[in-house]
Amino acid sequence: MSIKTDVIIIGGGATGCGIARDLALRGVAHCLVERGDFASGATGACHGLLHSGGRYAVKDPEAARECITENQILRRIARKCVETTGGLFVRLPGDSKRYRDEFLKSCDDAGIATAVLSPSKALDLVPGLNPSLEEAITVPDCSIDPFRLCMLNTYTSRHRGGSILTHHEVIEVVKEKGVCVGVKARERLTSQVKEIRARIIINATGAWGDRVARMGGAVVPMSLSKGSLVITNHRLTSMVINRLRPPSDGDIIVPNEAVCLAGTTSIPVNDPDILEIDPAEVDIVTTQAEQMVPAFGSTRLIRAYTGVRPLLKASTRGGDGRSISRGFQIIDHENGMYSILGGKLTTYRLMAEKMVDVVMGRFGLKTSCRTAELPLEGQDELSGYPLTKRLASLDSIVCECELVGRSTVEHAINTMGTQYVGDIQHRTRLGMGPCQGGFCTYRALGIMQELGRVSPEVSVSILKEFLQRRFKGIRPALWGDQLREEQLIESIYLGILSMGGRP
Amino acid sequence: MLDVVVIGGGMSGLTAAIHLAGAGLKTAIISRGDPVCCLSTGCIDVLDLGGRPMDGYGALPEGHPYRLVGKRGIEDGLRMLKDIMASSPIPYTGTIRANREILTPIGTFKTTCLVPRTMEASQGCRDEYLHVISFAGLKDFYPSYITSRLPDTGFSLFDAGCSSTLALAARFEEQGFLDEFCSWLSSIEIPPGRVAIPAVLGLKNPVAVMEEISSRIGRTLFEIPTLPPSLPGMRLFRTLKTAFQERGGEVYWGNPISSVEIRGATVEAVTLAASGRPTRVQGRAFILATGSFVSGGLYATRESVREPVFNLAVRVPGARKDWFLHDFFMPGHPIEGAGIEVDASFRPAGSSLENLFVCGSILANSEIMKNRCGHGMALATGLKAARQCERMLV
Repeated sequence: MSIKTDVIIIGGGATGCGIARDLALRGVAHCLVERGDFASGATGACHGLLHSGGRYAVKDPEAARECITENQILRRIARKCVETTGGLFVRLPGDSKRYRDEFLKSCDDAGIATAVLSPSKALDLVPGLNPSLEEAITVPDCSIDPFRLCMLNTYTSRHRGGSILTHHEVIEVVKEKGVCVGVKARERLTSQVKEIRARIIINATGAWGDRVARMGGAVVPMSLSKGSLVITNHRLTSMVINRLRPPSDGDIIVPNEAVCLAGTTSIPVNDPDILEIDPAEVDIVTTQAEQMVPAFGSTRLIRAYTGVRPLLKASTRGGDGRSISRGFQIIDHENGMYSILGGKLTTYRLMAEKMVDVVMGRFGLKTSCRTAELPLEGQDELSGYPLTKRLASLDSIVCECELVGRSTVEHAINTMGTQYVGDIQHRTRLGMGPCQGGFCTYRALGIMQELGRVSPEVSVSILKEFLQRRFKGIRPALWGDQLREEQLIESIYLGILSMGGRP
Repeated sequence: MLDVVVIGGGMSGLTAAIHLAGAGLKTAIISRGDPVCCLSTGCIDVLDLGGRPMDGYGALPEGHPYRLVGKRGIEDGLRMLKDIMASSPIPYTGTIRANREILTPIGTFKTTCLVPRTMEASQGCRDEYLHVISFAGLKDFYPSYITSRLPDTGFSLFDAGCSSTLALAARFEEQGFLDEFCSWLSSIEIPPGRVAIPAVLGLKNPVAVMEEISSRIGRTLFEIPTLPPSLPGMRLFRTLKTAFQERGGEVYWGNPISSVEIRGATVEAVTLAASGRPTRVQGRAFILATGSFVSGGLYATRESVREPVFNLAVRVPGARKDWFLHDFFMPGHPIEGAGIEVDASFRPAGSSLENLFVCGSILANSEIMKNRCGHGMALATGLKAARQCERMLV
């Protein structure tokens, strides 16, 4: 099977999806190829923080300015993805006053609005804060749903003739006379290979950038650093909480829907696919978060996760991932392939704009970028996850933690025609609660069998794969009630269902 | 003043309490709520390290609770359970001389030792045609998991208008529903062989229900245990609780212990945080049978593991980073060995308390998932602790 188009985008993170939308709005045919579901790399494994730029203000003024500009754009165009929580930078006893002064000045220079709050004012806003705080500074931080952002960006693409292939892994870059003219992509479940041909190939694969570039005969110098985060089982703060000090481990807590995310660590890694989380990382993040919001220490963590920062290698400077610029770069490999690397979720739209400008130049086209003006399409169809809607289909609950009914699951299966249980989880919040799919994934797969979407033989191996992956995220944060729940889940799969191996 | 206060109303606590009440001692059970047993298959796993149950006995480490009980003690526990169940509407089948298999809802076979009569015909079901009956909308049972795994199988769906096993069980206790179900089942054509049904054949008299269906369709029938909540687990629990009450035992259900009173080497009383008015329960001896993590007998903090009632010393298998293996499907996570170590008299090791005994899955080194010794260990240690306690009191 083969497809012909003008531009191939490899990677379904925010950057790739943003490029697809931009190309669609400028009328350029394209095909996006993604190995997993949307946002399965760093996009989905970050804080979900729409930066105000405050975090970068002191060290990287240019990144800070980019952030505040994009922050304002995204609040406007992506209302259904952004929760305008506002953010606080909290100064605790012992944190440098000098850094605070520098911070205020840098924010001012970058155009980031701040206000200094007394401890009592700050505690009025966020009662869970450490009551011994010295002061807090407000910034326009927001929380953002990276998965929904990717879905909406590709919505525009899908409705304007773009082709979006998720669960397709690029296994080869096709070259003719030294020029990249297409890719071969293999569907994960069926192993069917499609050949896609285009005039330009864009490598937007983040941490996998070097690997994909090498398939096209090029190299991109990258410095990979993993950052691990934890998820609480409820929302401890209604605002983004940052520690007012130079960036370091565990300095951010972000509210997101019904939970809070906290992180991160920064540890150099070589392989973006091997992502073990050390329980010690969970301890670091929890201990730090606890200093800002004391209840964090006694709150149930439902899991940990980790993502790889796709940073460009600083020529000779050492240091950890945080000291490397968060700026992005477009590399022309001069063989028909471009790599777009670095950057961050907040600036994904700007990155896409610059990339597509290059494409337009190559094609000799003049249409200018409109992604900053037009609201994301498809937002009206999103209802979010309001309780009222979930209660309406309570007749038969599949996921008790998140109150997802059978009709919602069937609707997702039927409209997507998907064979991947992860797709349903991402789109309905099935399995996102405290048991992390321990009960409902077995059911969702059973429903998929009934609807003829997946064969029962395959569904057992999907279930096993899911449980193994799930355990990876849960294992580093097991104590208290989460450990209790995990032992129950284990007794179901290894005891009642006898799916375990022999020791 | 009671003779014995048993803390925990699960398998081991009930076993201990039934023995003591049967011996004429004034006994009470304190339980925070229905036990983890209600989430189990209701089958009695004894030991499965390959071959017959006792083949694995020698391979158990010295500190395993079974080693402290001895083979004879394991057999005594099983015999006690079989005797109790034999005089109930749900007799149990099986002996310590052999392990047996039951079909699971995902089409695998689980090894166990004693099974309720309703699962007896599960053994050997793969040798002939198997017809699985399920119910439309039942959310924890998907027959295609089974039919895709076993070669000679088929299934039919009955619409009973309910989506949970508990609701179905209630319907099977109505004669009208049972008649309707039987005539439907007689009307469908099923190739010669056995019929399997998820475990929903009522809470009180499942064997009678099964036999009625079986005789009306002229087929051998058996139940497949389901995911929690599990009817076979609830039936087992209810039968044992009733057996205890019939022997004159008292139950305090639904309230956690808020404090314990200890004088010198003696536990004198515990106080229950009952709403309105705390209840003080005094006893000459106490048995701690609060179970492991799931039931709250043990509680893990970020650094360690606590025993919340008496704050007894807990054996903790290393640092938190080592509590779990990386492979979810490999039984034997080190945390399974966490618990209370006891001496030969089943008193907590290293504790000065003379009238406190410990039994069940709270015991250290049990490694239940790895050894597949769940309820068998509860029976054996429950009986052993009760006998030790009896010896002290009488």
